[in-house]
Amino acid sequence: MNKNKKLLVKAIGAALLTCGSTVQAANWLMLQGTEPTDQAARAKLWGFVQVQYQKDNSDANASGGYIPPKLIGPNLSEQDQFNVNRARIGVRGTGLPLDSNVNYFFLAEFGNNGITNPGDRNVRITDASVTLNHIPGARIRTGLFKTPGSEEGLQAIHVFDYINFTTVTNQLLLERFPNDNGAFESQSNNAPISKPSPTGIGAFDQSVGAFRDTGIQVFDTFKVDKWEHSYAAMVGNGNGLNFGNADGFYDKYLYWSSELVYGGKGGRREGLKMFAWAQSGKRLLDSTDDSTYNPTTHDRDRSGLGVKYLQKPFRVSAEYMQGEGMIFVGQDKSTFDVNGPATPTGNGADGEANGYYLEGGYYIPGTKWEIDLRYDVYNRLTNDTPFPAGAPAPVAGKTLEFKFETVTLGAQYHINKKTRVNMEVSDRTFEAVDFSAGAGPNANLDGVNMRYAVQLTHIF
Amino acid sequence: MKKLTSMLLLLIAISVSYQSQAAEDDKPFAEERIVLQISDPDPFKQTLVLNVATNLVKHYGPDKVDIEIVAFGPGLRLMFKDNVNSNRINGLTNSGVKFAACKNTIAGMTKILGQAPVLHSSAIPVSAGVVRIIELENQGFKLIKP
Repeated sequence: MNKNKKLLVKAIGAALLTCGSTVQAANWLMLQGTEPTDQAARAKLWGFVQVQYQKDNSDANASGGYIPPKLIGPNLSEQDQFNVNRARIGVRGTGLPLDSNVNYFFLAEFGNNGITNPGDRNVRITDASVTLNHIPGARIRTGLFKTPGSEEGLQAIHVFDYINFTTVTNQLLLERFPNDNGAFESQSNNAPISKPSPTGIGAFDQSVGAFRDTGIQVFDTFKVDKWEHSYAAMVGNGNGLNFGNADGFYDKYLYWSSELVYGGKGGRREGLKMFAWAQSGKRLLDSTDDSTYNPTTHDRDRSGLGVKYLQKPFRVSAEYMQGEGMIFVGQDKSTFDVNGPATPTGNGADGEANGYYLEGGYYIPGTKWEIDLRYDVYNRLTNDTPFPAGAPAPVAGKTLEFKFETVTLGAQYHINKKTRVNMEVSDRTFEAVDFSAGAGPNANLDGVNMRYAVQLTHIF
Repeated sequence: MKKLTSMLLLLIAISVSYQSQAAEDDKPFAEERIVLQISDPDPFKQTLVLNVATNLVKHYGPDKVDIEIVAFGPGLRLMFKDNVNSNRINGLTNSGVKFAACKNTIAGMTKILGQAPVLHSSAIPVSAGVVRIIELENQGFKLIKP
């Protein structure tokens, strides 16, 4: 064997030997899917609680009604409220501590949010997975767990630097599932409500997908000098937190990241990470509001790429995302194509959307404070078909493309390593791009205003 | 001839005695001799015992402190080759810290696993971890169980 071949064999061998063995840091695939080799407990009990107060300063429309962006979720019944928005308890470890090749992860949600509020559920399992680490370079994780994808979705929510997701993540990635009424899908489009509302305006009765799926994933991390390269490939039911494959299709997920590691460990490890991901699936949707169940098949494709830099005292991250098919068109609508096949305008089932965020943080040296600033944009239904020219004013010839623009200023106070307070204020500009001020959907959106939030997180 | 043989035997005896003394005294300038016990299943104890060893080396200097970490029972996991702390163990070995692994525990784990656990290259098997601790205490080592 010549010298170059020998070197190559050695390099491959070294890479395989170092794949994942001691690599645990701000790598969410590894942090959530594996346990420290030969150190993990049989059963480590853990969890976190997030208690928040939010207030929305948006104005009612001319008739005194409020739409979902002006109301506090998940209840969508008022403009301000206290909430226990997350209360999760879980257990993780390795069932036989002598064998680090098998580990498990279990987590359940008891808080009030998009997972539990639809359908009035008190508790919902969010994670139940087993990972097999026998094959060098190809760990296998099976069960219900977070899908490899965008940074906001994949990272652990209890270390998220903000209280609320960006609009692009909330609408494009946090999947809503149409209500299942048996024979047909309801196409309700709830009108703006007066507050307080005893029932709220939300039209969905299914849990949000919570960036999770039930399936099987192959993944691992390779360390090359100071670089850490990770990959994940997953196949899942495409059914969020619901067990079972309701439509017979399987979603596919791909993920890659490369990180130049500066130092530190855990969820706030310092480094420069670049990542890209893609998800592809199909959904069934009955768009005809009649008594016949005649669903059509629609693609649901999502992809994105981003970068994250963290070296104290600075943090900067950015991500661009796009999607085709099954575009969520609002919490007041229980499905994705409210107008039905006869009127293609506003059809989210075949719609396209894109968005991005740019954010940064500064950890004030010598203090327990950090300040954060985020700008995010979401463009929804960028390929929308205009209403016919003969349609009544003001919709004639116009699309239902929307633009959501938000600037969020935040601050965090770290009481201790496990407890912190987040505060943020969001300045929001939402508009239906084809309509003038006060016309069509803008009659409701023009009143969208500042939102204030404060949240206490305690991890145990 | 008899005198020569006696002198030769005496020389051999002195040499063996010196070698065994040297093995135990490979840190002749050590001011403190410490044996650290790890026998707990608690993952935190792994980190703690390595932290204590690191702090001792830092405080006294590698030549002024003689440290041996004895692992037995569930604590033997620290000595597994793929343990997440293996790099730290490498570093401590380079600073002169010794690691002993209990053969009784290895045998017990072999029964459970169906094969012998693969140990870190720094781990020196000893017949029984607790016996090793007693031996070291008899040699003047101080026992610390973090």
